[in-house]
Amino acid sequence: MLAGGRSTRMGEPKAALEWHGSTLLRRVTGIVGRAVGGPVVVVRAPGQALPPLPAGVEIIEDAREGRGPLQGLAAGLSALDGRADAAFLSSTDVPFLHPAFVRRVVAALDDETDVVLPRARGHQQPLSAAYRTSLRPVVERLLAANRLRPAFLFESCRVKRLDEDALLADRTLASLDARLDSVLNLNEPDDYESARARPAPEVAVRRFGALRIPGERGPQTVHAATLAAAAAAAGLALDDHVVAALNGDQISRDPELPLAGGDEVAFMAADAGG
Amino acid sequence: METDAPGGYFGRALVVDAADASADVLPLSAAVLRRYIGGVGLGTWLMHHLAPVGVDPLHPESPLAFVFSPLVGTPLTTSAKFAVVGKSPLTGLLNDALSSSHFAIAGKLTGNDAIVVHGRAERPSVLLVDGDGARIEPVEDLWGLTADEAEERLRERLGKGWRVASIGPAGEQQIRYATISHDGRHAGRGGLGAVLGAKLIKAVAVRAATKVAPHDQPGLLAAARDLRTRSFGPATAKYRELGTLANLLAFNAISTLPTRNFQAATFGEAPNLAAEELAEARTTAREHCASCTIGCEHIYKGADGKSTRVEYENVFALGPLCGVSDADSVLAASRRCDELGLDTISAGGTIAWAMECAERGLLDAPWLRFGDGDALLRALDEIGTLTGLGRLLAEGTRRASAQLGPDAEALAVHVKGLELPGYEPRTLQAMALGLAVNSRGADHNRSGAYEADLGGELDRLHGDARHAVAAIETEDRAAVMDSLILCKFLRGVFTDPWREWAELLEKVTGWDVDAEELRATARRIVLAKRMFNLREGWKPADDWLPDRFLSEPLELSSGRSAALSPERLRSMIDAYYEERGLDAAGLPGSGQLADMELDVFVY
Repeated sequence: MLAGGRSTRMGEPKAALEWHGSTLLRRVTGIVGRAVGGPVVVVRAPGQALPPLPAGVEIIEDAREGRGPLQGLAAGLSALDGRADAAFLSSTDVPFLHPAFVRRVVAALDDETDVVLPRARGHQQPLSAAYRTSLRPVVERLLAANRLRPAFLFESCRVKRLDEDALLADRTLASLDARLDSVLNLNEPDDYESARARPAPEVAVRRFGALRIPGERGPQTVHAATLAAAAAAAGLALDDHVVAALNGDQISRDPELPLAGGDEVAFMAADAGG
Repeated sequence: METDAPGGYFGRALVVDAADASADVLPLSAAVLRRYIGGVGLGTWLMHHLAPVGVDPLHPESPLAFVFSPLVGTPLTTSAKFAVVGKSPLTGLLNDALSSSHFAIAGKLTGNDAIVVHGRAERPSVLLVDGDGARIEPVEDLWGLTADEAEERLRERLGKGWRVASIGPAGEQQIRYATISHDGRHAGRGGLGAVLGAKLIKAVAVRAATKVAPHDQPGLLAAARDLRTRSFGPATAKYRELGTLANLLAFNAISTLPTRNFQAATFGEAPNLAAEELAEARTTAREHCASCTIGCEHIYKGADGKSTRVEYENVFALGPLCGVSDADSVLAASRRCDELGLDTISAGGTIAWAMECAERGLLDAPWLRFGDGDALLRALDEIGTLTGLGRLLAEGTRRASAQLGPDAEALAVHVKGLELPGYEPRTLQAMALGLAVNSRGADHNRSGAYEADLGGELDRLHGDARHAVAAIETEDRAAVMDSLILCKFLRGVFTDPWREWAELLEKVTGWDVDAEELRATARRIVLAKRMFNLREGWKPADDWLPDRFLSEPLELSSGRSAALSPERLRSMIDAYYEERGLDAAGLPGSGQLADMELDVFVY
């Protein structure tokens, strides 16, 4: 996660922008974390203030500020050395990033590929791409030579390009993010206002056990960008006695856990004994 | 009865020879009571002292202890519980099983902190204990009756002041997973009903004869009022409103519902068996144990009009685990287990194993197929009568599979001989550790490590050292709750449990016990259980899980794979041993034993 941009056009730090009761950075780290199953590393500018992040998210600093995404990529790959074969690189300002997009890109890595580079919504997306961690020396050589554009890196390694058709060949992604809003980034205040005005993602909510409303059958569809919002929409308080399972997988009580379109949230009693 | 024992205690155990009802009083010093409290803790101490080393659990000299606790008889909600402790005929190791209600109160008020039975009666008998001591009366007419029937007949015969714990036909026939029940509630796991049956004791009847005062009666009454109020809150709502069966649909949603002998962790027909679906139409009553304000027992009516107590473990083991989705078949099977006096988890687990063996051609029983409710009932009948396939299945999965050979053994899902409860280890990896290392075998009551998996703080699909720490905490909490004794369904109401439990114990006993001492007591009890098992032949390889969990990943609906490698399990076990202060083989050092005042148990 590259959090260190100057946000000049936005006029305020993008990382801390409010997003449905959370922040942009909190949301995007959560979405990436849900998809990759490995460590999540946030690269910030030296001394940069960040909004609160959940335990487990690692924060490191760029060696030098204002040198662009390759500087941040080098720092991130260095932090992952020995712990991961590849990393998904993301900017902070992509509030509609979907876990299915991240999975699609990462899944395209193979033995013949160093970078999976999507092309969507008319542009290459180097900040929504997958990189082999073994590229770190290459990136560092480019930085030393002051060759700071990602294109220089792509000239120096094996790149698999995924156009929209290739991306959407993934049926899960096609059903959950058909317009590839995953790469829609926010640069101007108007971008933010427009994106923020969109409805929160549509998710399915189920209540189990004593939390269930008598006579209720099947899931309820609500709009919620976070777990707390889903709980509220279901008429529940996310207190000590309630936990939630996201898509039948991880259990969480984190009110800011980001939700994405198509998610299913199961609320159940925290007291699981018996 | 005059006693100089601490408040809440009589300072003695009654040790009865079933052959002639001769009884010895075993003094229990204040030091022993403070170190082991009561319930499973005190029961462990009693087994160390009274069980001959290496005794066959079904030998007459294998002792069986009914152990009470300092809190029994107080107004504290859920405190009317007792522990039955002995050597398990299923595992060959220490076993403790809890039951509850009036037997606990009357048993303690016979003037004993424990009643221990050894020896063998000449003919089927009832052991009677009251203020006049112990006596044995023949009850050949009750042999063959269900536990409920025997209990009812005995209360008619003896008078209503008597409270009765009885075995059913399974215990009489020494089936290795037979229960002991009181008022329909079973001390279920590990087969202690067979131990009582081997003594030709159909039932133990107790009658209150005395009183015991707590140290601080006004303080205890205030604490009881407070606890009662809290027991009506959201922490117990699940148990009140739907009972433990509320687990089933939620567990299915998170791939934690063991299905078809643990070949899957979701069951497509789960809604057919779910409390959410069945409760409204089927519930006929909700019942409480004595001194309980929760009322977790939900009674359902089957298609035949008969009533059955419904619990998650019954329904999981006789439903999804056997692939059976017809609610009436599952309720009938659960009731059949109750009538016979069979542990539903071990019964369902053994039958599910046999179903898989039959489907794979390892067992010649073409009628036994997953999903067939009639086959399930037939299998239970054959177990209950030791006919047909029942002779094999009555042995439990470990012994039965050993008779069929390695291919069948590979399908046997047990730890230390005890069949697994309804918690899938691959998707609950703190629980995987808890199941592997627990002294009772695969057990969800002495290790509540699933709480760590389901709490949201840890990755339940990737166990590590943090899971070991969490598993130890739940194991320690269980050791204290099962010794005080308080029902674990109350555990969610305690916001600072160690301190609050110490305060309750202080009010009853007068001891200046604090949270730190109680934590040390918990560790001592856990280690004392391990020490008992060590002397009875436990080996490091016994702290492990069946290969199925280590070689067959589960695919989740989220797209992730739930895999538990042998290396990861080993790593968690190593972390558990280290945190417990054990060596790499799971053994305590002499210094540790002395520190914990356990060196008396070195043999």
